Amino acid sequence: MDTSAILLELEHLGIQFGGLRAVDDLSLKVAKGSIFGLIGPNGSGKSTVFNLITGVYRPTSGQALLHGRPISGLPPHRIAALGIRRTFQAIRLFPGMTVLENVIAGEHLQLQQRWWQGLLRTASQRREENALVDRAMDVLGMLQLGNMAHEQATALPYGAQRGVELARALVGNPEMIILDEPAAGLNDNESAALNDTIRAIRGMGVTILLVEHDMNVIMNVTDHIAVINFGRLIAEGRPGEIRSNPKVIEAYLGQDDDPPAARHDVVKPVRQEYA
Amino acid sequence: MALLGRAGMYDMGHAVYFGIGAYATAMLSLIWGWPVLWTIPVAIAVAAAVGAILAAPIVKLRGDYLLVVTIGFNSIFVLALNNNLLGLTGGSDGLFGIDPPSFFGHDLDSQTSLFYINWVVLALVIWLMHNLDRCALGRTYRYIKLDELAASTLGIDARQYKVGAFALSAALAAVAGALFAIQLASVSPGSFVFTESVVLFAIVLIGGQGSIPGVLLGTTMMFVLPQVFTAFAYYRYFVFGIAMILVMILRPQGIWPARKGGF
Repeated sequence: MDTSAILLELEHLGIQFGGLRAVDDLSLKVAKGSIFGLIGPNGSGKSTVFNLITGVYRPTSGQALLHGRPISGLPPHRIAALGIRRTFQAIRLFPGMTVLENVIAGEHLQLQQRWWQGLLRTASQRREENALVDRAMDVLGMLQLGNMAHEQATALPYGAQRGVELARALVGNPEMIILDEPAAGLNDNESAALNDTIRAIRGMGVTILLVEHDMNVIMNVTDHIAVINFGRLIAEGRPGEIRSNPKVIEAYLGQDDDPPAARHDVVKPVRQEYA
Repeated sequence: MALLGRAGMYDMGHAVYFGIGAYATAMLSLIWGWPVLWTIPVAIAVAAAVGAILAAPIVKLRGDYLLVVTIGFNSIFVLALNNNLLGLTGGSDGLFGIDPPSFFGHDLDSQTSLFYINWVVLALVIWLMHNLDRCALGRTYRYIKLDELAASTLGIDARQYKVGAFALSAALAAVAGALFAIQLASVSPGSFVFTESVVLFAIVLIGGQGSIPGVLLGTTMMFVLPQVFTAFAYYRYFVFGIAMILVMILRPQGIWPARKGGF
């Protein structure tokens, strides 16, 4: 892997909660423009890795680097400003607000209007509001959600809510999107459509880091996979290599969880791992 | 206050900013002889600055903790006024004899003209709040209230916005305070005690958080109804207390909740 093409690098990243090493000495390199999968059995620390990258948690050892510059220790809003957006395993839309309002939230960093312009409703502020709506509608249209723009976001079916969350992340023109189990709770058709969506997002030049249980998604769309168990990296490689890696098979079969090449049509319950 | 409701922060010491507005107007007018209408922008600026400074260290606090700290601010404020802070606040008697406002040389000293000034200001404030609900600032407050973490991962600096919400809210309270001082031509610490903050808080809670008509309705219930039913005015807090309990059980979003969806 050409080092100049590394977008995100984790260097001996670790976090300890009391006596538990949730993530331990994890080193990874995510190439720019790639679709990188992070898999592992339940409770292996995948979501914790995401929370470390996005600044929700502060690592107790090691660091994450974006374009070679350390980002660990920055608050989430600063990391967002560096071009990283994420979705959540348990969907976190703004309840009671419309789909459109939810998506427009993702345009926060592109806002030009000053606070007093909004209060006085100046002409330039109104123009910007219209532009925000147009841009949000474009992204919703791309995800086939345009007809739901004025619905209440949290009243939509599960798959659509995931789409709205994705739109909210995409509308901010991120350099990298982190997707935390985007296929959780989706049916077969929806998860097949998700594969196309993920590829389309990569086609826009966005690097994707993906945590997923659905092997149909993971094996089909990723370029590179890292497997972790008990917070440690146990294998890394292309999807084909991972599928036949004995350590990976053992990690999955040793647990009460899906083996890597197993059925993907079981709808996983959404765990509230995220606190 | 309505503003803080939008951002999901509850201030039990809002009488402080109301009081700062009133005292700024009274002091500038009585001690330095400023025309009263000119004192209003200064009252706004002072209250906003104090709001931001007091808020900066405490916006991280949540719910009840924030309430307790703001109650503390309110007590300190009243104590400072009573003890004649800097020798300028007149102690527990307060300050009196504020000149009536004049507008291009015309004295507006009748209660009728003050009445119209208050209506104009109310209309202006409603217009600003109406715009707030339709602009990025107002939306950002709602995002923070509904899910601060999700908001922060979209690049929203919640802390900065919360301090800003306190400052803006304090500024609005100061306008009301300045008008109050002009209306009564006097100020005294008793008008800005904790129970006054509770009244403000209750208005928002009963009327509907983040809802303009809700807050107007709450205000009407709190101040106009007791005037109409003077026989019952004595029981005002009793009735209001029961109303508050009932509203919280039956209509947790308030009698006239904020409309869902801005688009």
